[in-house]
Amino acid sequence: MTANGWLQILAFAAAVLAVTKPAGIYLERVYDGSLRWLAPVERVIYRLCGIDPEDDQHWTRYAAALLLFSAVSMLVTYAALRLQGSLPLNPFHRAAVPDRQAFETAASFTTNTNWQSYSGETTMSYLSQMMQLAFHNFTSAACGVAAAIALARGIARRSGGRIGNFWTDLIRGTLYVFLPGSFVLALLLVQQGVIQNFAPYVTAHTLEGARQVLALGPVASQEAIKQLGTNGGGFFNANAAHPFENPTPWTDFLSMAAIFVIPAGLTYTFGRMVKNQRHGWALWTAMFALFAGGVTTAYWAEARGNPIHAARGVDVVPTATNPGGNMEGKEVRFGIANSALYATVTTDASCGAVNSMHDSFTPLGGLVPLVNIQLGELIFGGVGSGLYGMIVMAVLTVFIAGLMVGRTPEYLGKKIQSREVQMAMLYVLIFPAVILLFTAASALLPQGLAGLNNAGPHGLSEILYAFSSVTGNNGSAFAGLTGSTTYYNTLLGLGTLFGRFAMMVPMLALAGFLSERKTVPESAGTFPVTTPLFVVLLLGVILIVGALTFFPALSLGPIVEHLLMGLGKVF
Amino acid sequence: MRDTAYVVVTIVFFWLMIAYVRGCERLGRSGGEGGERP
Repeated sequence: MTANGWLQILAFAAAVLAVTKPAGIYLERVYDGSLRWLAPVERVIYRLCGIDPEDDQHWTRYAAALLLFSAVSMLVTYAALRLQGSLPLNPFHRAAVPDRQAFETAASFTTNTNWQSYSGETTMSYLSQMMQLAFHNFTSAACGVAAAIALARGIARRSGGRIGNFWTDLIRGTLYVFLPGSFVLALLLVQQGVIQNFAPYVTAHTLEGARQVLALGPVASQEAIKQLGTNGGGFFNANAAHPFENPTPWTDFLSMAAIFVIPAGLTYTFGRMVKNQRHGWALWTAMFALFAGGVTTAYWAEARGNPIHAARGVDVVPTATNPGGNMEGKEVRFGIANSALYATVTTDASCGAVNSMHDSFTPLGGLVPLVNIQLGELIFGGVGSGLYGMIVMAVLTVFIAGLMVGRTPEYLGKKIQSREVQMAMLYVLIFPAVILLFTAASALLPQGLAGLNNAGPHGLSEILYAFSSVTGNNGSAFAGLTGSTTYYNTLLGLGTLFGRFAMMVPMLALAGFLSERKTVPESAGTFPVTTPLFVVLLLGVILIVGALTFFPALSLGPIVEHLLMGLGKVF
Repeated sequence: MRDTAYVVVTIVFFWLMIAYVRGCERLGRSGGEGGERP
């Protein structure tokens, strides 16, 4: 580890802290309807779509609208990918996407996962990239924030199960947050050299005399929403390791900041909505503590490198000309610190973009992204999903604290009783159930084992990572698993759907139930949710629920691989 | 044929999710001791 590496990590952390408050205030004004600079556009959309923006929906109608929108848009994308060969903006005559891959891709982009079992530059037409995949990049992100705001409304007010209007939240989020934010970010990326064109691919002649086709396209516009919406699906197969997507240290920094800006800002928005700003900061602090632990571990593990290399005489000590450590799968222009930081950020949030190959990390370095996802992606998390995941954990925390002192638990003035805890537990249990069942099946079935590129514990890590990634709606891959098969395309597609909607429904139910309760004043028996004790207890609940659920699987994968690496055995 | 299968799987999944919404609502009514109605 170097001082330069730490300075860059600290600069990033300072940037996240600095943007939290302004982003939070802006987001609150978007969703409370006080921001009106696009009101004429809004009115036209409402009129065309027959939306009554004043209609305050019951949580069941809110959830049904979200599900209906997702179902229809997923089916449209499936059809468009299957008909790609007959549609315009296809200068390279890309054929129809295979049915299994179209299903997985449509499910994956609808759920903000963006798991890609294809190479964008050789599979997708410009129309598919821009009209289908980019459409979901905007709307899936807006759906996530809408759901988080709905939960915040449920806590903040007493409205008999009414938590807002899904269509208004979807449209306002897209219009006021994601479209302008992506536009500004795309311009900054273009200024740094990210390409944006409709030009045909270029054939270059390499120094060795070989011919190489350089894929081009409208990359910057895709890249901006990919990061801001924590989507993560790359224009190119190499994702943000590709020099046309992420050419400079500044684009790398901007990309990471864009991933965290909305999730971090939402903690501030939440604090303002529930009129308890210190609680918003308490959630932020818990998120930041987990982020700091993750990036420190990943940086340490990757800078330390593989001891087998050192034993064989490879110089792993960092110098001015040698980054040292483990540089396998990393870009020289980013080095170890920024690769470890990016891997932590992208898996803390449910982004899934990568600037290095996680499969090439050391076992402990690779453990960090895996654990980040398995904690429920609430370390800032996906846009919206990070906040509502953290709120569910806070509800469980006050419930456990209430049991400890023998009083009825309250959360921000709302009594937490059996139905709220039932919804919170449904939310918490579905996630590991899907991951562990699908992983176990794939580790046993020949169709699952056929996709492995590595044997032993590393092979198990690849399967575990894949199902953790899709169920957590992350979308990054360990890159060692051949996922483009009927078995994996279908199962991974289903994993994304369960991981998104089977968790969102009980969360919205929780919002509705809390909105039915009156707010009670704080008393001597109320467990304070603004103190360091609350943050520590919250961290304890997250680690116990998240990490211990997966510990047996992790111990058979990256942990045993790390121990065997110390004995000189690699996989 | 497989196109039909994937479309049917998608529709069935979202139909199940709607049923899940109703299930959660029923669970909320039955387990709502102390839940106030405005």
